[in-house]
Amino acid sequence: MSMTKLTLQIDGRSIETESGRTILEVCKENDITILTMCHLKGITDVGACRLCLVEIEGVSKLMSACTTKVADKMIIRTSTEKIKRYQRITTELFAAERNHVCSVCIANGHCELQKLAYDVKMDHIRYPYLFPQCEVDTSHPLYVLDHNRCIVCTRCVRVCAEVEGAYNWDVMNRGTNVRIISDFNTPWGESITCSDCGKCVEACPTGALWPKAVVQGQLNKAPEFISDLIEKRKMKL
Amino acid sequence: MNSQELTTLYDKAKQKNAQYKHKICVCCGAGCISSGSEEVLKKIQEEITARGLENEVSAVPSGCMGPCNQGPLVKFLPDNTIYQKVDCKNIQYVVQRQLIDKKPIEDLLIFSDSREKPFLNADEDPFFKKQLKIALKDCGDINPEEIDDYLNIGGYSALDKVLFKMLPEEVIAEVKHSRMRGRGGAGYPTGFKWETVYKYVSAEKYVICNGDEGDPGAFMDRSVLEGNPHRVLEGMAIAGYAVGASQGYAYIRGEYPLAIKRIENAIKQAKKLRLLGNNILGTNFSFDVQVRIGAGAFVCGEETALIASIEGKRGTPSPRPPYPAESGLWGKPTLINNVETFAGIAPIINQGGEWYSEIGTPKSAGTKVFALAGKIKYSGLIEVPMGTTLRQIIFDIGGGMQDDGEFKAAQTGGPSGGCIPAEHLDVKMDYESLLSLGSIMGSGGLIVMDKSSDMVDVARFFMEFCMDESCGKCVPCRVGTKMMHDLLQKICTNHATKIDLDRLEELADYVKECSLCGLGTSAPNPLLSTLRHFREEYENRIRQFEELQP
Amino acid sequence: MRVRKAKKEAEISKNDPRVKFLANKIKKENYSPGSLIEILHTAQNAFGYLPLNVLQYITKALKLPPARVFSTVTFYHFFSLKSKGEHTCLVCTGTACYVKGAQAIVNELEKQFGLHSGQVTPDNKLGVAVARCIGACGIAPAVVLDDEVLAKVEPQELTQKIKSKLAAS
Repeated sequence: MSMTKLTLQIDGRSIETESGRTILEVCKENDITILTMCHLKGITDVGACRLCLVEIEGVSKLMSACTTKVADKMIIRTSTEKIKRYQRITTELFAAERNHVCSVCIANGHCELQKLAYDVKMDHIRYPYLFPQCEVDTSHPLYVLDHNRCIVCTRCVRVCAEVEGAYNWDVMNRGTNVRIISDFNTPWGESITCSDCGKCVEACPTGALWPKAVVQGQLNKAPEFISDLIEKRKMKL
Repeated sequence: MNSQELTTLYDKAKQKNAQYKHKICVCCGAGCISSGSEEVLKKIQEEITARGLENEVSAVPSGCMGPCNQGPLVKFLPDNTIYQKVDCKNIQYVVQRQLIDKKPIEDLLIFSDSREKPFLNADEDPFFKKQLKIALKDCGDINPEEIDDYLNIGGYSALDKVLFKMLPEEVIAEVKHSRMRGRGGAGYPTGFKWETVYKYVSAEKYVICNGDEGDPGAFMDRSVLEGNPHRVLEGMAIAGYAVGASQGYAYIRGEYPLAIKRIENAIKQAKKLRLLGNNILGTNFSFDVQVRIGAGAFVCGEETALIASIEGKRGTPSPRPPYPAESGLWGKPTLINNVETFAGIAPIINQGGEWYSEIGTPKSAGTKVFALAGKIKYSGLIEVPMGTTLRQIIFDIGGGMQDDGEFKAAQTGGPSGGCIPAEHLDVKMDYESLLSLGSIMGSGGLIVMDKSSDMVDVARFFMEFCMDESCGKCVPCRVGTKMMHDLLQKICTNHATKIDLDRLEELADYVKECSLCGLGTSAPNPLLSTLRHFREEYENRIRQFEELQP
Repeated sequence: MRVRKAKKEAEISKNDPRVKFLANKIKKENYSPGSLIEILHTAQNAFGYLPLNVLQYITKALKLPPARVFSTVTFYHFFSLKSKGEHTCLVCTGTACYVKGAQAIVNELEKQFGLHSGQVTPDNKLGVAVARCIGACGIAPAVVLDDEVLAKVEPQELTQKIKSKLAAS
């Protein structure tokens, strides 16, 4: 597809770019902060977390920046009061949905959800906690899956299917009963498809997936490692 | 097979029908079947044979006639006399009086229990008189399991016309000219949708008929599919020709086994006569239709979710753009229209877009099928011109409130719609007017409520439905509907405070604005509209609780 | 890589007419992954629910990742992963069985155990279901009692058999 130059306006700044890119990509290139959770550079965007919603002039709906392509003369606003308010509610709902207790979480201090809460200045949660019954799967020799900390961003699912090609993960059920599963909801350690590569663990933004070999406070995930890997895989020898 | 041969087919069908002086249609829609109409049909056929009338009288099953709670319904043509609540024991008597003595039994005529003088010609009864049937036109008059019956009323002539006399552009222009809007709920102009798909260049394109009618209280699509499946197939084939697609899918929810059976049967018959399949009517145009059966997920009515489901995946929606018109089924340009939309296509082609556009209101042309239910005297299926008022529908056609109760509200659009209170009874039923009241047209469910209905509980009921049907992909819908449901539950059980109501309103706005698909963005509608029109019911409950606090 | 223990998969009998029926359907759909939902419908119609070994069979035939199949099955409310009751009696009510008296079997089950299709006894010992066709038309009327396909079933014989099973357990 041929690229054409186009000009658009984001938060009052005039920006030149090329067609075919998403609003999120253009914002990142221009150091405009967009909050994200289900996005991971290099894997398919699904527009599920709704944190990256932006206002576009002339469009009645809010659009997800990760899945919407830029167009010429687009006027975009990324941080209006309305958007900030919605981002905070989203964060609160994430926190209230499962059992997120930072102080005892392996990812404390290295968690994207925790960072998000700081970013949106979430001082407390106004909604009742749902306290669902969630299991912890420790059957895998190297890693742990803790559903209590999962926000169903599905980054693990997509990394496993698209980058590793193992397709160990998917999502079962629907509504608030959704759970990440391996194979036929088999314990992870008994999966016949998992290649033990650990990419899902690296991609996971919270303490839902973590390696057994670390202690609390030592966990340091690097999702950008996945993005680099995807770039390198495109290179020819 | 070519156009000439279609004429021969018509002649054959005409001849076959001409020998009969009378035709008895026994409604075999799902409603009448449940009240025993199949047995009635069998008994009538036996009676006809016993009297040696089988060469003069044909007795056939037909689709839905409308007044579903009066079933089983039996219609005598050409007199157009309808008998209601026909009992197997009465059949001998009915046949004798109606066909032999020519003295219809007034006490058994349709609506005889509530009209002072029932009508011999059912079309003169207010229930039918105020209606205008386009999509449902032949539903109660033909045997949906016989293609001959459809051919006898000029079936597939619109397909014949477009194939031999019209270019795809002309077909699209005609549909645009009709100003028809999609009957699935959102009301997007049909002609523009067709044009968009037509413009994308692709060797493969698809046409999908959305029959995943999941709203509680809606059964329009089911009745059309059960009553006149060939009309839907003809509409799909015309759409295929117009947009350049050769494969169609009819996606029908699994809860409708009869509709599935009848459309599968219709496809088989049409293929046999080469009205579907390869080289239709001897032209270069080929179009095949496959049935896909839904597996119980309301969200699959959303077009991107429906596509995922046809591809054999979880029916989760995807962000648009890209719209299905550009990248739909298997990534190819795809046209998705509702059952009722396709049922309206053949009449538009035959009678012209101009004719259709003059029916209804300037912005909402044509007719709309509504499923009347709830606390109304005559529930059932009706079709009226757009812009008919709610009052006319409920009181003129529906016969008013059940047990002469007091009207409180009408719910339209199911879990995505809202409630219309008594002060807006004169609202015109069209897309814009309903939207301005905080409801939507939706697919056409219309549930009438009287004073006994608790509006907070109505809102809770629909929220529970949306919560159960949320696919769980995006956060606002997955967690937001659950939180709203819990808050509504709290109000319903008189345990909520003013703060809870504030939270609820804030969440409703958030879920409406932020959800990924139509299910989520419209889930707060029943709540918002009851808050708008019946706010005092919420506040009373809160006050009651707060007064109990120390 | 990790050393994997050899896992024994649940057996699926190739002689079961329902498996043959399913295999034919899969072949008819050209082994296309897109037909997964259609095939699941067929499987559920034949088995009354979706046993794990049947899902494994479908997964292999369509060359799909197991998680994909499981996620699809659990998304739709029509599909059920569990049979109802410790013992299950699945009566085929396909056309051939219907003609040969499937209804009498259904009636007898109702008379003896008070169970309609989809119901289970209060003690969860016995569940009754009907299938639309299990593909065993040659031996109609057919009944599947705990995975055993019974041919040309006589209503009384069947209920006797069920009673002895219930007594044994």
